[in-house]
Order: sequence, then C-alpha cells, then structure tokens
Amino acid sequence: MLKVKNLMVFFENALAVNDLSLEVNEGEVIGVFGSNSAGKTTLLNTIAGLTRHLKYREQRKGGMRITINGEIKYAGEEISRLKPSDRVARGIVLCRERHPVLRDNTVEENLKLGGYLRKDGEIRQSISSVYELFPALQKLKARKAGMLSGGEKEMVAIGMAMIAKPKLLLMDEPLLGLSPAMQHEVVRGVKEICRLGVTILISEQYARPIMPVIDRGYVIENGTMVVSGTGAELMENPEVKSAYFGA
Amino acid sequence: MVANLLIYGLVNSVVLMLTALGFSLTFGLSGVANFAHGGLYLLAGFLAWIFINSFGLPAALGMILAVIVVGILGALIYRFILMPVRGIVLSEVISTFAVGVAILEFFRWKGFVTYDFSLPVLVQGSVKISGVSIDYQRLLIIAIGLALALLLWFFTHHTRIGLALRGMSQDEYTALSVGIESDWAGMLSLALGAGLAGVAAVVILPLGIISINMGYDVLLIALAVTVLGGLESTTGLVVGSFFVGYAMVITSTYLGPQWGEVVYLGAIVLVLAVKPSGLFGKSKELEERV
Repeated sequence: MLKVKNLMVFFENALAVNDLSLEVNEGEVIGVFGSNSAGKTTLLNTIAGLTRHLKYREQRKGGMRITINGEIKYAGEEISRLKPSDRVARGIVLCRERHPVLRDNTVEENLKLGGYLRKDGEIRQSISSVYELFPALQKLKARKAGMLSGGEKEMVAIGMAMIAKPKLLLMDEPLLGLSPAMQHEVVRGVKEICRLGVTILISEQYARPIMPVIDRGYVIENGTMVVSGTGAELMENPEVKSAYFGA
Repeated sequence: MVANLLIYGLVNSVVLMLTALGFSLTFGLSGVANFAHGGLYLLAGFLAWIFINSFGLPAALGMILAVIVVGILGALIYRFILMPVRGIVLSEVISTFAVGVAILEFFRWKGFVTYDFSLPVLVQGSVKISGVSIDYQRLLIIAIGLALALLLWFFTHHTRIGLALRGMSQDEYTALSVGIESDWAGMLSLALGAGLAGVAAVVILPLGIISINMGYDVLLIALAVTVLGGLESTTGLVVGSFFVGYAMVITSTYLGPQWGEVVYLGAIVLVLAVKPSGLFGKSKELEERV
C-alpha cells in the first residue's frame, strides 16, 4: 500500500531522514521506533506532505533550505509532489504528535473539521462512530478542546483523523505524555481502528505499550533504519530491547 | 440629553465596529494585520462614487460592485504581496501599509481632494426616537452593523469554510493534516476582510464627504478598537467598539469635539500598558494550568 524508497530529507545540511526505505501492506499495523530526533516525525510529516509544504513556505521567504529526495509510492502512485490536501483526499491522514487540537474550538467543532473534505451526512455518521470508539468524548463534546487533559486531547486528535476517513492512518507518538490508564485507552482505540480495516503506521519512542498491536516494526536511529522485523523479532534483539523496550 | 448620548453613542459605537470588523476578521482568521485596511476602505468609497457618478449605475448596484471589487483586490493582495513574506510579521505589516498608502496617495494625486465626493444615502428621511431625531441612514448602519456581526459569528462557528478558517488560524499544521489549504485560507480571509472594509465604507461614507485622510483615521480606529478588545476576539471587538464609541461621544459632548479623537489614541496606549493582550485577549494562562 505504501512504499517509501531511499527517502532522504535535509534541513539545510542536517540529515533528518537518511536513505530510508520501508513498506506498509494493507491492513497492517506498523511501528516506527526511535529516540528523540531519530527522524520519526520528519518521516511521517514527509509522507503526509507537511515537509513539502514547509519546504515551499521557507523557499518563498528565503528561509531554511529543505531538500526531499527519494520515492513515496501510495497505491502504486508517486505522491511526493502532491499537496497535503490531495494526500488527505487519497486517504493518507496524519495525526500529529503532542495531540494538536484546536483549543478555542469545542470538541465537536474539532471533530467536524476532521471531515473538511467530506459530505455533511458522512461527517455526522463518522462523528457518532468516533463517540462509539471513545465514549468519553460524548460527554465532553461541548467543552473547549484547550481545556481537556492530554489523553482526552489525544482522543480528539485521533477522532479528527478518523473522521477524515483514512485508509492509511499515520500516528505520531500517540502515547507521548499520557498516563498509563490513558495509554491503555488509546491502545484499545488503535486496535479498534485496525479492526475497521484501516492500515496504521505508528511512531513511538517507548515501544512496550504499543507492542501488542504491532505486526511489524522498524527501528530508526539518526534518520537511518537500523533494524526491522516482526514484533517478536524486535523484542528479542538485545540492543533494541534495552533501548526501546526498557528491559 | 441622556437619550441623545445613548442613541448617538450607539451609532458611533456601531460605526467603529463596522469600521474595524474587516481588520479584526482578517487578523483573527489569518494572523495578518492588514494595514491596507484604511486604503481599501477609501478605495471602496471612491469606486462606488465612480460607478455611480461616472458610469451612471444605480446607487445600490454601484456600492455592491465596489464591495466586490475591493474584496477581490484583498485576495490579490494576499496572492501577490503577502504570500512571499507570509510568516514574517514585520514584512506583512510594512507591505500591506505600503499598499494602503499607495491607494490613498494615488487618489490624492488624481485630484480626489475636493469637497465634491460623497455617496448618496440609501434611504432618505428621519425619525424621532424618545425626542431625539435620527436619520434612516444611521439606523441602517446600526442594522447592518449588528446583522453583519451576527452573520460573521454564525459563519465562523457553524459553516465548514468558517470552521476551516478558524482552524487554520489556530494551528496551521493540524488544519493542513485534515486537508485545508493554507494559502487558500489566507486569500479568503484577506478577501473577506477587504470586502467588509468595503461594506463599512459604502454604508458609513454617505454620512459626510469622502476625504483621503479618512483612510489613515480608519486604520487607527481599527487598531484602537481591536487592540482594546483583544486581537482575535469577536466579543472583544464588540465590547471595544462600544467602550471607545461611548467614551468618544461622552468626551466630545462634555469636553468638546477635539477630545473625541484623543480618546481612542489614549485607549491604545492605556491598554497596551496595562493589559497588552486586550480586555478579552486569549486566556492562555488558564489553559496552561489545566
């Protein structure tokens, strides 16, 4: 479904993603693990088209020089030149890190906005399915999103992404900063989303809580892929184990 | 006396709100402080005058046309002047201010400086409200001002495009992630703001003659009212307008008309010194505690 081949992303002369290749098949849940500044966010942002947007913004005002090389193929189509909105329309939806919600809008307004490219009737239907996925949101729907806890914001952020009707959902560190109980709730949500037939690419620093739902994983360091394999294979690799699973 | 103060205070407040509405909307939705606001306001006035007097169009049609043209110009200003400097606040301010000055000084150069330029009132006549006589045009201003404020609130809270613009103003990358295009949002918010400057011009300018210096005053008023109420806040805009509007009427009644203008300039200085985020500035402190 998604094939990334020899992807390189430079911010000026700093290499954020180095010759990275990965493949995501339909229906899989794929993990990307790595420490801070390993290139996880840049990878996901580049697949979603945000890096390309930033590149042109910076280029226009003569700011930072960003270079993106390599191939990103989605459903057989080369998408690296598409705008973020065109990628969303094709079903590639990114749920960014640090649960970014629109804090002045209510929970329901946030969710509605997730369906920006869809029809009104479909949005209503999707919103009620998000309330089924995360029942806690139902009670909070009139609350300003800025007043929610981190875990609740994450649920709203995932809900927004779900209403955009993803085929490939990119989740950037969804568990970051959440309490164990909330992590558990979000992991349950990920399982449920996967059951709905959505393919998921998920990035995390600390892999253990998310491991049970992962089919395969990649470990990246300094923008380079170091290990890849099934969940069990990664767990057995001693270096990976100590670095990302807290052995 | 009191009825007079209340009614003309209301008129003055709504005039201020209408004048600042476009500026405030553009800032709230795209973060651009459009310093061409005064220029666009006056451009709408002169365009309407040209459409009506040189092309012989009916007054209402000429005014609507002027609003549309100014709205389109707003979009063009974003596309060709703001897009390259997007995100550099100082450049945005300087380049839009330059456009505003260019418009105003163009008309001065072309000789639009005599007392011949005025727009026709849309409705003739006047009425007495509790002993105070007021003309229909001023009542129309109140009606349009309040209707527009409500309409815009509805637009930004209950329509897809309005929500998208608000989304873009709060978090560009989140908005991009759900498929909203940032340059499209920027163009639209500039077009809407410019169009609103045009609406303000064609309903307010019939009250007097059009003079070029008004363009500079309009920008100052827009700044005063939005800074006072808190940039980005709709409630703030309304409260700011009523605060400055009544303060101006009260001071000019009791202290003399020359003090009216001191009020809004004084208000900017005072608010910036005491509460820089404005009376209704966003309550970031509270959210960070949660």
